[in-house]
Amino acid sequence: MNNMMKSKLTKTIFTLSLTTAALITTITSVHANSRDTISAVGSSTVYPFSTVVAERFGKSTNFKTPKIESTGTGGGMKLFCTSNAINTPDLSNASRRMKKSEFDMCAENGVTSITEVLIGYDGIVMANSNTAEQMKITVKEIFLALAKEVPAKDGSEKLVANPYKFWNEINPSLPANKIEVLGPPPTSGTRDAFVELVLEGGCVEFPWIKAMEKQDKSKFKEVCHSVREDHTYIEAGENDNLIVQKLLANAKAFGVFGFSFLDQNSDTLQGSIINGHAPSFEAITEGTYIVARPLYFYVKNAHVDKVPGILEFLTEYTSEAAMGEEGYLTDKGLIPLSEERLMSIRKNVLSLTPLVLTE
Amino acid sequence: MNSSLLFIVLLGLTLFSYWFGLKRSLKVAGGPEHKKDLTCLPEQFGLLTAMVCGLPALITFLIFNSVEQLFIEHMLTASLPAHIQSLSTIDLGLYFNNIRSIASSETIHSLIQTIDKQSINSNNVMLLEQSKAALTLKELNLQATWLKTGLVLVMAVASVIILVRKFSVNYKARQKSEAIVHALLVASSGIAILTTLGIVISVLFESIHFFKSVPPAEFMFGTQWSPQTAMRVDQVAGSGSFGAVPLFAGTMLITFIAMLMAVPVGLMIAIYLSQYASPKLRRIAKPMLEVLAGIPTVVYGFFAALTVAPVIRNVGESFGLSVASESALAAGLVMGTMIIPFVSSLSEDAISAVPKSLKEASLGMGATKSETVIKVLVPAALPGIVGAILLAISRAIGETMIVVMAAGMAANLTANPLDSVTTVTVQIVTLLTGDQEFDSPKTLAAFALGLMLFVTTLGLNILALKVVRKYREQYD
Amino acid sequence: MTKSQESSTNTKKMSNTTSSAKTLSITDKVNMSLNKRHKKEKRFKMMGLLAVIFGFMLVLTLIGDITSKALPAFHQHWIKLDVDYKSSSLNVNNEAAPKLLDQQLQSANYRKVLRESIYQMFLTETGKALSRQEKRQLSQLFSTNAEFTLKDNLIAEPAQLNEKVNVWVRLDDDVDSYLKADFPLGEPGLRITKKQAQWIEKLHTEERIESRFNISFFTASDSREPELAGIRGALTGTLLTMLVTLLLSFPLGVAGALYLEEFAPKNRWTDLIEININNLAAVPSIVFGLLGLAVIINLFELPRSAPLVGGIVLTLMTLPTIIIASRAAIKAVPPSMREAALGLGASKMQVTFSHVLPQAMPGIITGGIIGIAQALGETAPLLMIGMVAFIVDIPTSVVDSATVLPVQIYLWADSPERAFLAKTSAAILVLLALLLVINVTATVLRSKFEKK
Repeated sequence: MNNMMKSKLTKTIFTLSLTTAALITTITSVHANSRDTISAVGSSTVYPFSTVVAERFGKSTNFKTPKIESTGTGGGMKLFCTSNAINTPDLSNASRRMKKSEFDMCAENGVTSITEVLIGYDGIVMANSNTAEQMKITVKEIFLALAKEVPAKDGSEKLVANPYKFWNEINPSLPANKIEVLGPPPTSGTRDAFVELVLEGGCVEFPWIKAMEKQDKSKFKEVCHSVREDHTYIEAGENDNLIVQKLLANAKAFGVFGFSFLDQNSDTLQGSIINGHAPSFEAITEGTYIVARPLYFYVKNAHVDKVPGILEFLTEYTSEAAMGEEGYLTDKGLIPLSEERLMSIRKNVLSLTPLVLTE
Repeated sequence: MNSSLLFIVLLGLTLFSYWFGLKRSLKVAGGPEHKKDLTCLPEQFGLLTAMVCGLPALITFLIFNSVEQLFIEHMLTASLPAHIQSLSTIDLGLYFNNIRSIASSETIHSLIQTIDKQSINSNNVMLLEQSKAALTLKELNLQATWLKTGLVLVMAVASVIILVRKFSVNYKARQKSEAIVHALLVASSGIAILTTLGIVISVLFESIHFFKSVPPAEFMFGTQWSPQTAMRVDQVAGSGSFGAVPLFAGTMLITFIAMLMAVPVGLMIAIYLSQYASPKLRRIAKPMLEVLAGIPTVVYGFFAALTVAPVIRNVGESFGLSVASESALAAGLVMGTMIIPFVSSLSEDAISAVPKSLKEASLGMGATKSETVIKVLVPAALPGIVGAILLAISRAIGETMIVVMAAGMAANLTANPLDSVTTVTVQIVTLLTGDQEFDSPKTLAAFALGLMLFVTTLGLNILALKVVRKYREQYD
Repeated sequence: MTKSQESSTNTKKMSNTTSSAKTLSITDKVNMSLNKRHKKEKRFKMMGLLAVIFGFMLVLTLIGDITSKALPAFHQHWIKLDVDYKSSSLNVNNEAAPKLLDQQLQSANYRKVLRESIYQMFLTETGKALSRQEKRQLSQLFSTNAEFTLKDNLIAEPAQLNEKVNVWVRLDDDVDSYLKADFPLGEPGLRITKKQAQWIEKLHTEERIESRFNISFFTASDSREPELAGIRGALTGTLLTMLVTLLLSFPLGVAGALYLEEFAPKNRWTDLIEININNLAAVPSIVFGLLGLAVIINLFELPRSAPLVGGIVLTLMTLPTIIIASRAAIKAVPPSMREAALGLGASKMQVTFSHVLPQAMPGIITGGIIGIAQALGETAPLLMIGMVAFIVDIPTSVVDSATVLPVQIYLWADSPERAFLAKTSAAILVLLALLLVINVTATVLRSKFEKK
């Protein structure tokens, strides 16, 4: 190798090592910067709404676009309640109300001032591909299909491990397919809401189980909330879009997710008729479709003036253009609050009224 | 001056000191004509000076950078009013974040002026406090920068001056600079080695943590995998059984399908390319194999999930079979495609390594090419081929993206390729997206699975190495 | 061969004349088995050729499938609107001072102006105003970005205030997919209802709809709306992450290889280290993600989703590869060169840096580039450290939140909207092109160095 190439080479190695040294100096001075991007974690159901607002917020103001991560309501709450430190999330999206245990955990860790924002309603649907037959089912039958332990077939007040493998074993009018339901894992608020509204709703239709509620609350919960673990109910992760895709590929399976996902895929999916009502905007607003739950997000008040833009983000989120009846969130499948409710929530939110959970 | 400027100045100083050291060494020798009196070349004196100038100063720079903020925060806190000082660490951290953003804004002076002019109320007091604190921060930052600049430059210049005073005709400049380079090499390889060890240690550490709550026997031999335990005290969720056998079975099933596809195809390609192909064909085929090897696995996963799986499903349904939408077959076939280049290039190396004398002897005895290959070359190259297959298996086991996108999530214990199964790698991803607290058995289970993966691939690699070494015939 | 044929035919003639009904002679047997063996040979060769062709077919199918899926992503449908920038609709006081006017223009009600221009297009046809349902369906045909396009247009030329102008805005991705799927005009399809299809037909006959090259795919960053989503953010993140990986892994790896190969004492410890490094090169990438999570994020508290952390994790992954490739290149330098230099009085260090390293450089650089190319396509470890958030802003430094192209592909692949399918495929093509460029560079560099 001639001398020119050699010196060229040496120079290249030299410069490369220098740049590395420069990089290392950057690494060591990382902690000097302040965070100026709002960070949100939590529910995968609220994720589509929060990201739309975040994007609009970033486009129409000079603030940075908030960073939204989909971790599941439970996981998000844990991250949110870690502490008030600057490297914890500012907002937590939730597809169910914050539980007292989570509220207490937050308080224990110093997160004492939280603002609750109710953004609207969402139904939970059990959907399948619209190339298959639409299912008409009751909550009691769903309970029998998905619970871990069900009352024995002979009607005695005993619980047995769930023996049903096919839908028509529960009710001959149901399809003769294997029971295959894809749904959210325990980190998801949708799971919590589904379990409370559907499974619990179904199991209290057995009077002796209903009586258990007063006698032995924890046993009651165990019976009514446990989901079977023998691959008939498949936990499909926090990604509701993935469930939608799997339903399209497998016409015999059912998926449990928020109504907004059904609405956004209305040309390929259909929701099952539960207790006589199909899921629709009107049915959920009127309350005839019973599997509906409110959606929230929670704000860490301690971060509000520390990370720029949180109040402005809240203003955008609770604005008429977003959460109003003709707002862009409605276009995405959110069932909006009434005008009066929205106004009172807006007032509370913008004054950062702290949440008080008693139950 | 800020960090980048300081860095550039330091660089300039280093280059200058090279020249300086060189010139100085000549001076010490008594002029350029006495160059030969020096024990080392002037350039080597220069190099030593440059290193002595640059390195201590750089180290000072780095250390200063690391501790700068701590000191500034400490001093800033001391200057704050008492009620701020008494805040908890976390609240203080939040306060600092606020102060920092105020300090970096341009309007801070005008802000203070306007506040001073207005009447004092509680709001203004707080704002005034914060702005004053921000000003203090700015000053502290400025002082720190000056201090840093001073320290670094003094370090550089002082080191050079101390060094050149030692210059003499017999000064062993070259040995000293080489010793420094040696130390640098040791340091960098030390980092490289430490990181490689650190990987093993951290996975081991967290896994041991896991095995404290879940007995290893249950993990290794249990057949029930329901890791989704409750998130909260009042939640009822999965039973928390961590039997990983269905995962191992799923991994093995998909790997088996992948190998069924990759080994015959890869081996035949290797044989054809090494024995039969014309140079022209080889020139086209090699890049083709490299393309297959270079495609990122996420692309394979996308292809498997969106194209291959539906096709298999449709074909299966038309035959009346019940095919899951994420069959092991789909994932296995695509993984096989990914592994073909592995098998083929490693096998080709093994076959080419067989001495020509064996091949020619066989042909000379009248065997056809195919008979030579089947009866002489492949058996001779067998250790290498087996090694290649083992390495390919280890690659397939560790593959993540293809299975995350194309395989299922249900921990099915089945041998039916048309069913959906899940693998070890899919579960690691599932367990760690979302709840990431490092104290629940759920999150730690991911580390235990990672440890399993690591140990298995390690074992396969060592086995491959041993097989090749032990059974390699000595022909020469 | 001909000789034996000749002799066999002779023998045949002989045997034929002597006894035709006798059993086959040895030569016949030999001939028969020879034919069988030749046939076997041909079949074997054919199998090999088929295998190679099969390999080709796989590559072509993969690339062809993705390319065909990606093509729709490169063009997009726009629509011409007649916009009346009425200051009353915008809620802007056009008598105001220029500075105040600017501020007002920033926050004016462009949504209303957009709606007005849309409804007005169809008012004349039906004669009566549209119902609320119809209005909603109509506005769904337009991209949610349309009002921002109107805003940017007016702010760029404030003189257009209170003027009637033509503005081109994007159509919603549902309409875009519908038009690309070539449904007969006026017929419903995909997510377009009959009414919407008829409106689209009307717009089409009025020649308001145009298909343009989708430059925003490259200039825009991620978005929730498929028609707006682009890869710029992901590309920038990839470049930053690769920069970090290159700058950290290359010097460390080469220095480590040099030390281990040239200077380290050959004892059991170095053997162990060699085994450790060799195995790490084969460890699944996801294990490195676990490490990144455990150590880098939890222990060192570096920011999540930053290219810095991603770069560090990928460095850990690439280090073993670079060390092994560099060691191989260094080993390949002939000992004669080393010994000659030593014989002339050079020190070990001089031998290494003046002779061995430059000689091994082509191999080292190739190894480094291949390592970087591998790291470029990695997704799994980055999923663990949080680069999966929805991040819209383009990262400007290595400590900003960012995502990389493979992760962006993974995220988009999960979206059910049809338009995202095309975008994902197009992003894959960009990734493959990037890899191709890097690999070709490596090959060119290697041949250039080897010539000298």
